[in-house]
Amino acid sequence: MAGKPGRKFQLNEKQLGYAMVAPALVLILLVVIWPIMLSGWNSLFDYRLNDPTKSERIMSESLNLEEYADNRYLVEQNVNELSEAYPEGEETFNETWAVVEEHHEELVAEDEMAASYQEVNSMLNDYEPITDDNLRIQSIDGSWGSDFEAAMDEQIEAVNSVQQQADGDIALEIGYLAAQLENLQGSVLSPNFVGLQNYTDYLSDGRTWTALTNTTFFTIVSVGAELIIGLGVALLINRTFKGRGIVRASVLVPWAIPTAVAAMMWSYLFDGQSGIVAHYMAAIGLISDPGSLLTTASGSMFSIIFADVWKTTPYMALLLLAGLQTIPNTQYEAAEVDGAGRVQKFFFVTLPLLKSAILVALLFRTLDAFRVFDLIYVLTGGGPANATESISVFAYKALFEQQNFGAGSALSVIVFVCVAIISFIFVKLLGSDLFPERAKK
Amino acid sequence: MLKNQAGIRFYIFLAIFVFLVMFPFIWIFLTSLKPQNELTSFAWFTSNATLESYASAITTRPLFRYMLNSFVVSGLTTVLSLLIASFTAYAVTRLPIRGKTLILGLVLASSMFPPIAILSPIFNFVTDTGLRNSYIGLVIPYITISLPLAIWILATFFQKIPWELEESAKLDGATPFQTYRQIILPLATPGIFTTAILVFVAAWNEYLFALAINTADAWRTIPVGISFYQSEYTVPWGDISAATVIVTIPIVILVLIFQRRIVSGLTSGSVKE
Repeated sequence: MAGKPGRKFQLNEKQLGYAMVAPALVLILLVVIWPIMLSGWNSLFDYRLNDPTKSERIMSESLNLEEYADNRYLVEQNVNELSEAYPEGEETFNETWAVVEEHHEELVAEDEMAASYQEVNSMLNDYEPITDDNLRIQSIDGSWGSDFEAAMDEQIEAVNSVQQQADGDIALEIGYLAAQLENLQGSVLSPNFVGLQNYTDYLSDGRTWTALTNTTFFTIVSVGAELIIGLGVALLINRTFKGRGIVRASVLVPWAIPTAVAAMMWSYLFDGQSGIVAHYMAAIGLISDPGSLLTTASGSMFSIIFADVWKTTPYMALLLLAGLQTIPNTQYEAAEVDGAGRVQKFFFVTLPLLKSAILVALLFRTLDAFRVFDLIYVLTGGGPANATESISVFAYKALFEQQNFGAGSALSVIVFVCVAIISFIFVKLLGSDLFPERAKK
Repeated sequence: MLKNQAGIRFYIFLAIFVFLVMFPFIWIFLTSLKPQNELTSFAWFTSNATLESYASAITTRPLFRYMLNSFVVSGLTTVLSLLIASFTAYAVTRLPIRGKTLILGLVLASSMFPPIAILSPIFNFVTDTGLRNSYIGLVIPYITISLPLAIWILATFFQKIPWELEESAKLDGATPFQTYRQIILPLATPGIFTTAILVFVAAWNEYLFALAINTADAWRTIPVGISFYQSEYTVPWGDISAATVIVTIPIVILVLIFQRRIVSGLTSGSVKE
């Protein structure tokens, strides 16, 4: 719009400002804030993707109309075919259908339900997918649900006893009818709202505490080691020397490669049979045998911390080096005049002036370490026997390996709360140092 | 401290440090050249160097497809988040709007989010919209990582642009948006470029969302693809080291060319100047 003659709208600075921040705020709201709220909501349900009766979040007893209409149609077809093919069971089949019909009449006596049923049925006839959950899942009142379930139990039993007298293909067909009746019965969804039960379950489960302990241990030890080594390296290379470019590049490569790729590299280097690092460590007596690195609890924890320190110490050193370079030389000269030695200069000049740089680096590294997933998932998979499982890895396994979205969400909310507490502590420590002048203009 | 002159001991220390940092890469590269039957030997160099591991790495798995996927997803994420972030960063640093601290606080808070906390709702969303195993299905969650990062770094760069130029543009009758497009953006180009590199690397390295959302082999990104080279029964170390070398080369080139910019971007948010 800039530069065009006769522009229609011209925003003033303020309006333009709000218009410019709007897209980012809307996106953050949609892809960050809203999903975390949904996670919280999901965590209140016994919500499982791999169990059809629990694959929806339901507050009150409901009917899955898609399942219901679909299976009702299949039952009708099958009853008609079987009555002809197996006259001995005709009476039972007709009786079953009559019971289904009787309950159906009762269901569609309600106008709203009848209309929804019609709509779903015609969509199914046209092979249209039913994506509108408000249409697909209808809540049902009174005792219809339990009556229907009880009636279906009786009919399934009756059909099963007919099946036992039949044989061959017919028995198989009758078996299908029983299965369809079970599916029809399964379209009644009982509420799976469990309140805070997922949380109480996990907080009383030893595996959660093991995962939290592992995560905390990993975070403290690796970030601590990274800070100390990083600070040492930064102090040493904070001078003029030839070959800065090579050092800088070599330090950036571990930072730049994907953590998953680094984890694959280290799983080879730590391997009990062909790993060179395991081999050398055993040779100098650091570990009893090369195999113990990835097969024992302490060895595995050591391995992931070692790999993490290798990958992020260079980054830490860079951040601290940048902080060191902002300390004016005059400060050191003044300290020298006062008779300070190297150690005193470090403790009374360097550290205080580096405080905010250290805290900012610690904040980002601590949060990163606490969220650790890729490194552990690829390097040890959380093993052996969950000894290196971090809380994010545990949550991922609950969500995607067990397909348990309710319980997994509870775990991910727990991770979120921990991260929020850590950030809160750091932000308190840092105060306004976190917001450089930029926000204050 | 800058007056300290580097002595021979210093250079020895430096050489050891660089060697330790680079050792895994050196070893992986040497391994990738070894023939199958020498993979478990601890000899540094092989006398029968071969490229068979490379041939196997690119034929057993669609490695170049993974690279293409990573490239497209990271590229789209970078362009999209930079476009939106540059607006926000400009408004927050230069325009008289209210609630700047709140906006930056929100941005910072969302950069601290554990991705696992939003994984399942995002997964449901991309499943419902049929976006699993597509590029867009990954770009959407990657916005959560890249947008806060981009806003944060860009705001630092915009802050450094002198106000005088803007003032004179205003005096010449430029509208605020013209000032942004014709004064600020050209001046901020180096900063935007730096931010783009960092956002691109962050998207390139992402693992969790890529693992959960793009499960079809043809849609996997590099990190996920590499981690699936190992099967239940065998770990083809030759293939893995060759694949690692192939995917690391572009990163090494990127780092060699842009090292100064990367360092200035990494440190811009953490050091007050």
